[in-house]
Amino acid sequence: MSTSVLTERYVHEVVRRLPAEQRDDIAEELRTTIADTVEGRGSADPRVAEREVLSELGDPVRYASRYTDRPLALIGPDLYPTYIRLLVTLLCTLLPAVTFGLVVLDVLDDDNLGSAIGSGIGTLFTLGCQMIAVLTVVFGVMERVRHHKGVVDAATWTPDDLPEVRQPDKGGVAACAAAVWYGLLVGLIIWQHTAEPYRADGAGGDTKRIEVLDPGLWSGWVWPMLAGLAGLVVVQLARVAARGWTVPLAAGNAVAQAMFTLPLAWVFNEKSVFNPDFLADADTLWSSTDQAYAGTALIVLALGVSAVFKSFRAARG
Amino acid sequence: MLACLALLRKPSYGYALLETLNDAGVTVDGNTLYPLLRRLEKQGLLTSEWNTDESRPRKFYQVSPDGSRVRTGLVREWQDLVSSISRLTKESG
Repeated sequence: MSTSVLTERYVHEVVRRLPAEQRDDIAEELRTTIADTVEGRGSADPRVAEREVLSELGDPVRYASRYTDRPLALIGPDLYPTYIRLLVTLLCTLLPAVTFGLVVLDVLDDDNLGSAIGSGIGTLFTLGCQMIAVLTVVFGVMERVRHHKGVVDAATWTPDDLPEVRQPDKGGVAACAAAVWYGLLVGLIIWQHTAEPYRADGAGGDTKRIEVLDPGLWSGWVWPMLAGLAGLVVVQLARVAARGWTVPLAAGNAVAQAMFTLPLAWVFNEKSVFNPDFLADADTLWSSTDQAYAGTALIVLALGVSAVFKSFRAARG
Repeated sequence: MLACLALLRKPSYGYALLETLNDAGVTVDGNTLYPLLRRLEKQGLLTSEWNTDESRPRKFYQVSPDGSRVRTGLVREWQDLVSSISRLTKESG
């Protein structure tokens, strides 16, 4: 039996995508079938008929996949919803968290907020791309493994998988803002320590750069405050994710608030919050009295207590 | 698929089956039919045999006992569906 080069090329393209043990059998049948069909056309020019027949059979890749039932999609309908859910979650939570952490580290190392933000944007982009790529590859492989094992049922879904109806999260935006605010505070405290932004008039008319907050804090009270602020950021983000306060979250909030608020109130009360050099230079801006310090300490305490109280009340209600 | 199982009570081969189906008004493309035959064979609903008596070696398919059972079931389902639909269309028409 003679088959033309065109048919041979087509058959080869199809069977090389099939399991080895089926190749010869399917190739033989396909050749016969194509020859039969060409003959059946009764066309004057068998070459034209052959072209027609082959183009009707269509793309060899597609055709071969009908024999093997191999998926023609990278991620099929079974896995697609999970894939999208996971992708969105990762891009909305892990990516910003990691980027923020790296920017903070950069600021600590480099003292330069601008370049840190620049590299943060770069990180956001590359890390985002990597997350998408890795997740896609993992799901692509999973799809093929599942298919190979013959797991093609989409029936694993049950009504229990339904997410809770999402009540509009009234406090969500506020919690996000709070997280950003606490994060900013951490950044500001570290920034004023490392970059020494305030220019004080030194003796002899030259300016020297000093910190705004008391440098003595760094050998003591600033650490629990920073830890408390970081804890508050985490708690607020967790609250956003949980779409409301829960009792454990409120307890975490209380601990973090206490770690931040108590030292802050204490240092205000001790009048050791600002750098004495800064105050000496800035005393023209405002006059600080003892009452003001004590009052601020009380306000700080009151704010902290009210924040804790509100979170518990929300968790109960 | 049901048409294949119905027609293949007598052994036949790919192209001839396609022609018979199309003549009977069941239009089906070769690129659907030939892989389908293979799948039915893999599922044990068809048996196949190479026949080298003619000018070309051809693979002849025939319904297996399993295939006959499946066919009977499918025919019943099909008729149920047809009668349901015709009842529905009659009521609404």
